[in-house]
Amino acid sequence: VDLQEFRTELDRFLDARADELAPPFEGRGTLDDQMDQIAKVRRLTFDAGFARRGWPDSVGGLGGTSLMRAYLAEAVTYRHLVEPGLYSMPEVLGPTFITFARPELTAEMVPKLLRGDEVWCQGFSEPDAGSNLGSLTCRAERDGDGWRVTGQKVWTSLAQHSQRCVLLTRTGSVESAHRGITALFVDMDSPGITVRPIWTVHGTDEFAEVFFDGTFVPDSRMLGAEGQGWTIAMDLLPYERSTALWQRAAHLHRRLQDLLDQAPLGALDPTAVGDVALTVAAFRARSRSTQHRMAAGEPLGAETSIDKVLLATSEQALYDVVADALVTEVTTGDDLDSDRWRSEFLYSRAASIYGGSAEIQRNIIANRLLDLGRDR
Amino acid sequence: MDHDERELFERSIRAATSTASGAELDEQLVELGWPEALSTDAATAIAVLFEAQGKAGSTSSALDRVVAHGLGLPVDPGRPASVVLPPVGTWEPPGQLGADGLRVRGLATAPLAGSTQVEAVEVVATDHDSTRQVGVRTVVVTVSPSELDVRPIEGVDPGMGLLEVRADGARPIGPPRAVPASWSGGVAILRLALAHELVGASRTMLRLAREHAVDRVQFGVPIASFQAVRHRLAETLVAVETAAAGVDGAWLDLTPTSALVAKAVAGREARVAMKHCQQVLAGIGFTTEHDLHLYVRRALLLDALLGTSKQLTRLLGAELVATRRLPPLLPL
Repeated sequence: VDLQEFRTELDRFLDARADELAPPFEGRGTLDDQMDQIAKVRRLTFDAGFARRGWPDSVGGLGGTSLMRAYLAEAVTYRHLVEPGLYSMPEVLGPTFITFARPELTAEMVPKLLRGDEVWCQGFSEPDAGSNLGSLTCRAERDGDGWRVTGQKVWTSLAQHSQRCVLLTRTGSVESAHRGITALFVDMDSPGITVRPIWTVHGTDEFAEVFFDGTFVPDSRMLGAEGQGWTIAMDLLPYERSTALWQRAAHLHRRLQDLLDQAPLGALDPTAVGDVALTVAAFRARSRSTQHRMAAGEPLGAETSIDKVLLATSEQALYDVVADALVTEVTTGDDLDSDRWRSEFLYSRAASIYGGSAEIQRNIIANRLLDLGRDR
Repeated sequence: MDHDERELFERSIRAATSTASGAELDEQLVELGWPEALSTDAATAIAVLFEAQGKAGSTSSALDRVVAHGLGLPVDPGRPASVVLPPVGTWEPPGQLGADGLRVRGLATAPLAGSTQVEAVEVVATDHDSTRQVGVRTVVVTVSPSELDVRPIEGVDPGMGLLEVRADGARPIGPPRAVPASWSGGVAILRLALAHELVGASRTMLRLAREHAVDRVQFGVPIASFQAVRHRLAETLVAVETAAAGVDGAWLDLTPTSALVAKAVAGREARVAMKHCQQVLAGIGFTTEHDLHLYVRRALLLDALLGTSKQLTRLLGAELVATRRLPPLLPL
């Protein structure tokens, strides 16, 4: 099956099963609604074979190019079937997990993730280790044939919905910085885990604090070797800025079209609309070339920081126009549409913060793409 | 072109643009087979030459050939082509044909003045002669250079070697012909060439600013170690890559709208590069002892040709607001 055939077949499937795939709720729904909807869309597209394309046989996939994954994400986003930020987690965790987990573990676990039977979360950030991830302190101490984890994570998206967590732990001394970090794959129902959801400004509790109090994780759940956690984190970060961002670009296009559909006569400033259309189109063109490099097997690296900067710029530019053109919806409207625009406007402010802040991305670009030498 | 052919082509074009400019570069392009490449693989020929030309700050009359190609006009690869371009800030056909002859307000890159090389100039014109048809149509007419007032433009960038072309009541050679392709197709391909050239000029501005930041020592350290400077340069790289992605994407569907988007993005991002690079280069970048100003001048002029970024942005926006319909998505 080539990409063109895949697109045609998938589009036909999504049209034919539109009623079944549609969200059973109106508006943006609660987080539980959104998660149930995502699980349903994953299950239906997995069972029909579409969500298995672009993944290797060894994890229940059907082979083919990663462009098929990108198109699937785009298609379900453009049709308003899923909340894009919540949907993209397998694209972030999947590829690195497959590279570093034992083959038996990937064969057992990844199909559950792809089919929507499970949700996984990413335990990276800590209260004192945000931009400076290498300073993390959540400890894992050797205990027989496994590890005892004690410490805290924060900004862990969907922790309360997750069955598993890809967790970065400190196994060396704190001074060992990025060398003394080990990645573990933790069952979220293990004893000693407490999850406290955090309410965000955009009106959801999609992320959480996670507390570990002597939680046991067997050696069989190590990802890579002891001390390889930093390598794993560095491998994973570019995936946060690849397929997930292609999906985000599709979402922004869709919402720009929705804005054109909904804005009252005279509310749209042509120059502002033209400018944001250019920005979103250029972001999509940039992300497209990243999708193709990934599909060609090229390693992704620091250049994906450009994609992330473009996402933040595009998303905030779009919602700045929304705030001016849909004044009532964003400020005082109490209907479901207004709730959605308002929530999305507020969420857009996070685009330059999550997944490496705008400043961190610029540091990466300066260090690694422009080779500007040491900073002060 | 396959991968190896393209690399070889790219290397030789880059070498030519960095050592020659103007008439000399025109000659080298003919020797290198660039006009043939334009007719067989326009995307590669245009992308490679115009990015290289933008990077090197060199000029040629290739833009005339590009528009001829876009209009579907037959061109002899061995002889210079000359097609009049619209004045800066406009994109309508530069000629108006009426009962009293041809009026021209436009620009040219080919050597028209003091040269016997070009024997005929093509002008795309709106035909207002009511004896020939009802309404206005777009035609192409041929005129002798002797019918045109031609003046070298100094302006912000005398180095670009643009010529101003004017005529009132000029007598065309032969009857007006229909444009084989379309004027909007010609404009689209011109905009893509200009977008590539803007990307090239922006890349050089970034290179110059980066070199300065790494070499220039203040407070005992290279100024490249200061985050304020690093972030300006990082922003510039984002700008350059945004413009490059926009123009590469436009070749995939090659519609007038995608070419407009590519040029508008490239112009906008070149302004970003100009601003940041000038600031990083500070005092020296404000003098003619440093090359930055050459690229700033070039970028300003390239942005103005076929509509500035701001004009095109407003045009696109007005269209979107009127139709309430985004152009088709760039497919994966």
